[in-house]
Amino acid sequence: MQDRSIKAMDGKPLLTGRRFEWLRIPEGGLLVVIVLIGTLLTFAADPITVRGQVVNNFFRLDNLIPNVATPMSWMAIMAVGVTIVIVGGGIDISVGSIFGLAALGSAAVLQTIPEQASPLVVLPIALGVPILIGVLCGLINGLLVVGLRMHPFIVTLGTLSIFRGLALISVPTKSLPSGDATLPLAFTENFMSWQVVLPQGGATSIMLQPVPLVVMVLCVVAGWVFLNHTISGREVYALGGNEEAARFSGLPVGWIKVRVYVLSGMAAGIAGMVSTGYFGSANTATGEGYELTVIAAAVVGGASLTGGRGTALGAMLGALIIKLIENGIYILKKIDLGFAVIPLSKEYTKIIIGIAIIVAVAVDRLSEYLRGRKAARKTLSRTQGQGETKEGRPE
Amino acid sequence: MMTEPINPAAETTGGFVPSVAFESISKRFGGVQALDDVSFGIAPGECHALVGENGAGKSTLGKVLAGIHRPDGGTLRVGGRVMVFRSPRDAACAGIGMVHQELAFCPDLSVAENLRLGRYPRRMRCLLDRRAMEEQARQLLGELGVDLDVRQTMRHLSTGQEQLVQTAAAVGTGARILVFDEPTSSLSQAESESLFELMGRLRQSGVTMIYVSHRMPEVLRLSDRISVLRDGRYAGTLTRAEATENKIVQMMVGRAIAHYRPAPPASAPGPVRMRVKGLSSPGKFENVSFEIRAGEIVGMAGLVGAGRSEVAQAVFGLDSRAQGEVEVDGHLLRGGSAGEAMRNGIGLVPEDRKRQGLVLSMSCRRNFSLVILDRLSRWGLLNHRQEAREAESLLARLSVKAPSIETPVASLSGGNQQKVVMAKWLARQLKVLMVDEPTRGVDVGAKAALHELIDELARQGLAILLISSELPEVLSLSSRILVMRDGRIAGEVSRAGADQELLMRLMAGVGSAPSRNEGARA
Repeated sequence: MQDRSIKAMDGKPLLTGRRFEWLRIPEGGLLVVIVLIGTLLTFAADPITVRGQVVNNFFRLDNLIPNVATPMSWMAIMAVGVTIVIVGGGIDISVGSIFGLAALGSAAVLQTIPEQASPLVVLPIALGVPILIGVLCGLINGLLVVGLRMHPFIVTLGTLSIFRGLALISVPTKSLPSGDATLPLAFTENFMSWQVVLPQGGATSIMLQPVPLVVMVLCVVAGWVFLNHTISGREVYALGGNEEAARFSGLPVGWIKVRVYVLSGMAAGIAGMVSTGYFGSANTATGEGYELTVIAAAVVGGASLTGGRGTALGAMLGALIIKLIENGIYILKKIDLGFAVIPLSKEYTKIIIGIAIIVAVAVDRLSEYLRGRKAARKTLSRTQGQGETKEGRPE
Repeated sequence: MMTEPINPAAETTGGFVPSVAFESISKRFGGVQALDDVSFGIAPGECHALVGENGAGKSTLGKVLAGIHRPDGGTLRVGGRVMVFRSPRDAACAGIGMVHQELAFCPDLSVAENLRLGRYPRRMRCLLDRRAMEEQARQLLGELGVDLDVRQTMRHLSTGQEQLVQTAAAVGTGARILVFDEPTSSLSQAESESLFELMGRLRQSGVTMIYVSHRMPEVLRLSDRISVLRDGRYAGTLTRAEATENKIVQMMVGRAIAHYRPAPPASAPGPVRMRVKGLSSPGKFENVSFEIRAGEIVGMAGLVGAGRSEVAQAVFGLDSRAQGEVEVDGHLLRGGSAGEAMRNGIGLVPEDRKRQGLVLSMSCRRNFSLVILDRLSRWGLLNHRQEAREAESLLARLSVKAPSIETPVASLSGGNQQKVVMAKWLARQLKVLMVDEPTRGVDVGAKAALHELIDELARQGLAILLISSELPEVLSLSSRILVMRDGRIAGEVSRAGADQELLMRLMAGVGSAPSRNEGARA
């Protein structure tokens, strides 16, 4: 073995930090789309008068935070969990039901606690119960997928129905807290729906509730750390990329799979907790149909349903895109093209989001293809120069 | 292609209009120039072999003819007419069919349904006439002398039977020119024979055949003329009369090949590193026992399906139904866990690098570190810097040709991919390394490097099990050779006493079976 290092290929060491490399992150395309949608909506939205001030109907904090960021936060948290499952080559469609079960479970426990109880008592329960429920549900999913060697779509389709059914049976009142009970303020008004008052010059001020957003950011960071910086995360990519090769590399394939569903369940549990705390209540329909939006967010965010590809940040940005579109339809009410006016009502939301999902994924695949061709050209030009002689082959 | 001073195709077929003429065909895949200005002709009714090393472009040329790939440049003439095939369907209309290496059918349909796929006989315009379909299929197979139940599901056929069906399907669509893409690469001797018989009958009925292969004895036996490709370029055509194995190999490699360098006698092997005793797995292999000493390379030969890879996988703990004892340095393994095997210093470079060895969606660096994740981390967090450092130094040591360690492994050549798989195991402290077909689909240069590496590892004191279907490789590298047949160890031969013929005989289980090296025509 002579020292024919790969360094010599392009004459410079491989590890030199290429400047601005971070700009070419996989989520770059999503950011561009988000900026585009944002700009478009800002220009299209009519100015309105709020509290005596003329502001843009779309681009103002008291639209963006309560109508986009907050409802997006639990979607994004679940999308991070589902993205982990999808990266591992699986799918979890039971997250909506887990979300509902966790929300109801925590509400059921918390309504027994006095309204004015100390946060030291309330918070461990408020955080612990929904997370525990999520983890348990995820564990059931994981064990079924691994133990019965069944396709995760089938398993989670079954548990989607079972978990929802459990919620319906155990909450005959359909909604919690029931009767006169309310949830402890230490969890709701003083935590999840805690308000910040932004003074806006004079008497007017904006009330914002930033906590769900903060929880979301924490979850995205946790998801990023898990996927990019832990052994387990790397194992998930390997599993989703090629299960057979993962087995031949001695990875504990079964455990990795169980872990993935547990994480997804846990994320749904956290999301349920955020929703309960924010609204101060939960009902048996909470989270119904969320699984589709969540999977859509993951896929728009770049997760590949064949496994091996996807990021936590992408999941969040995917959720953001979907919520932006929903909000845009709500705000615009009509699109004025100059020569024609397209009326928009809430009913159009589903169609437009459906189109957006397909377009987003198509564009993503296209850019992936182009990037692949570019990489191949690069490999060629580098290997052609010295490759042949390196092998010691006569021309 | 504006001016055409001479027609190279007409020249090589001795004047008459060739059945197929390639004129300056070029094809590039991403970074690889698969075909570069290839011109030659194929005479009507001949069996024309297309040979070359792996990656020389022979399969690609076959696929260009069958309409699967569109050439980037050059013209293709069939029966003198210029043809542009947009799809395999176009090629089929021009009477060209292809027999693929791997499954090209719907596995859950019956033989008859697959044979008549797309041309089902109908009743009352829209109903499938099952009886007529099966009758047609039976008739077609009968004409070709293939004995098969047409109602059988494709999935249950062996690879050999399936290729017979593929051939029949092509003939059934009226193909007069057939491309065989390495048909015997996964066939047993008997299956190959029945394919050759079928090819003989086709030749008599005037079908032109293009036979893509790298198996010299078959090529010399079957073909009328042999064209050689080298690195995507046309290297010449030989008639069977003038062709010898040596000559073809020289044309393939571009120089007289220095045969596998006979390894100098290994230093005296050390103590027993790995002992396998009475290892069995139902339906796969039975009562396999052997031991490997430190510093020893033990070869394992056998025909496809003899159970060699299965043994290696069971030793590595991937076969949960395996029974028996595996000991490393006197320590008995509990079995059934690859993780345990790895902790005890066993490594396995699997047979199929794309399916088992690599995660193609990941970069070289990430593939490299898959088996050392535990070592690269603290409290479950990965040390990316150390990972990059180690990947870089080992990949460089094996001279992997890649622009960077972040390059996706999918874009590397076969030889470099194999080096990545090797590198990942070298990153561990190994006692035993099992390499399964380490040089399959690898070019000559990488092959030599891999042989050198295996030899070097043995010298460092590893016990190495070398599974290979290439007898010269086994013979030149190993100090002892185990021969497997039908899931049992059929014999053990020392390096000194072994030659290809003896091994072949043990592998096939025949007292005086003719060796495959005999180039005689049947």
